[in-house]
Amino acid sequence: MHPFLGFGLGLRSSHFEEIITTKPDIDWFEIISENYMVEGGKPWYYLEKIRADYPIVMHGVSMSIGSVEPLNLQYLDKLKQLAHKVEPKWISDHLCFTSVGGINSHDLLPMPYTQEALTHLSARITQVQEYLGREMIFENVSSYLTYKESQMPEWIFLAELSKSTGCKFLMDVNNVYVSARNHDFDPMEYLNAIPHTSIAQIHLAGHQDFGTHVIDTHDEDVPNPVWDLFRQYATSLGPTSTMIERDGNIPPLSSLLNELSYAKSLVGDIWFNEQGNIKHG
Amino acid sequence: MNKVILSMANLANIQQQFMDLLQNKPNDLIKHIAKQGELKASERLSIYQNAYTIRLTGVLEQDHEQLGKYLGDTLFDKMVAGYLKCYPSQNTSLREYGDNLPVFLSKTPPFKQHVILADIAFFERLLLKAFDAKEAETLTSQILESLKETDWPLLVLNLHPSVHLISFETSAVESFQALKNDKTPPSANTNKIRHWLIWRTPDKRTEYRSIDQEEFILLNLIKEKKNFSALCQSLTKAHKPETIAPLLINYINVWLSQGLLIKHT
Ligand SMILES: [Fe+2]
Repeated sequence: MHPFLGFGLGLRSSHFEEIITTKPDIDWFEIISENYMVEGGKPWYYLEKIRADYPIVMHGVSMSIGSVEPLNLQYLDKLKQLAHKVEPKWISDHLCFTSVGGINSHDLLPMPYTQEALTHLSARITQVQEYLGREMIFENVSSYLTYKESQMPEWIFLAELSKSTGCKFLMDVNNVYVSARNHDFDPMEYLNAIPHTSIAQIHLAGHQDFGTHVIDTHDEDVPNPVWDLFRQYATSLGPTSTMIERDGNIPPLSSLLNELSYAKSLVGDIWFNEQGNIKHG
Repeated sequence: MNKVILSMANLANIQQQFMDLLQNKPNDLIKHIAKQGELKASERLSIYQNAYTIRLTGVLEQDHEQLGKYLGDTLFDKMVAGYLKCYPSQNTSLREYGDNLPVFLSKTPPFKQHVILADIAFFERLLLKAFDAKEAETLTSQILESLKETDWPLLVLNLHPSVHLISFETSAVESFQALKNDKTPPSANTNKIRHWLIWRTPDKRTEYRSIDQEEFILLNLIKEKKNFSALCQSLTKAHKPETIAPLLINYINVWLSQGLLIKHT
């Protein structure tokens, strides 16, 4: 259902020029939808060129799917228009709430894992998918707190959501690691609880480790514990479109390409046969 | 309906409390946070509060780099704190977050005593607007050359969507320019109105230049969709009749070369 696009990168403006001139060996790019919700200018100029050579997926941060306020139809219209122009392979956002009462937090705030939230999210996901006329993919967010109200672990919540809506997930392996450290759970228990057939995409990223807790900053290289988790997950998951997501402290493109090669090498023997073709079964 | 509202009670309450926490309003979100490990509930909440402040501050710092230098760290932080409180983000995009900053600066003490602050902020916002403006096909001299002589009087020119015309009584732009080059800004008040043109060049760079009263009036007439003879009319007081058309053609050639004019929309 979601094709294996290979190994991609988050498209960042500091790499625009290098990408169109050197056409690096990257299988696909993910764009932040909100960055292109403008009428024109540089981002559009480069995106037009880049999308001629690379498959694109769209990744949003402002849908606020978990919010109790009415769906932001103005935002959904913009998203629809954008998708019409970009023709992405798929569109993703986050399983969280970002706005309340028309005020935007610009942060991915965690949901309580309750039956109430599950019912609410299921209805909203269906509503959004109907409005957009296409399937959405939702990413797990990292979190720093647990609500007393929560009735189930996050991974059961996600598995239930997948059951009730059939929605697919973008699994951010770093976010799982960050939350596992902050809430003291086994990240593999989390990853294995969510049906592998529902995973459409993988994010790999870095974080800041403060000892007592870990903050998901996405501004560092992917650290070893996340690589280890990715490799372990890949063993049972099977070939899934994977990318490095770097949001801050953006390094030269060559450094991200090195990380991407490393990702490839980690799962090479698991996902591909000797001819370099995808293993099946 | 009642049932729906009732069933949303917990979720809605948590979300409202969370937003209040981020905005430093009274809230009791901490009562909803489970005790876990070494990190206290209050510390867990601070992570979100800090992230909120840091993110929005970062947007204002990035969008208003020269204003930041003009104010210095202490005043800039004071401005940010006040702005965050008065203007929480109403947009899904952070690009618009600072749109109300010029208004905030012109209404809030101690900033409002210094008109130049709102002017610099406004100038920086116009640069951002020009950067994101709609694309449009630029007009070429070939198209104009192909016009019949009788077409000219009624000709209406069109400005590129990125074009902004602005006048300041302060040295906002000169100060912006100085700070950008790490030089000391000139005195804030000029006692003289200065006009500026801001636009995005065909190679997508944001540009600005000082324009005199005459060019300012001409460009404003074009913006108001006035035709070529109205533009000529505006020049009759200062110029001899036979020099007006050539003068205007001169202006038009400059505007064409700078990508300020577009094909009819
Ligand atoms: Fe992510």
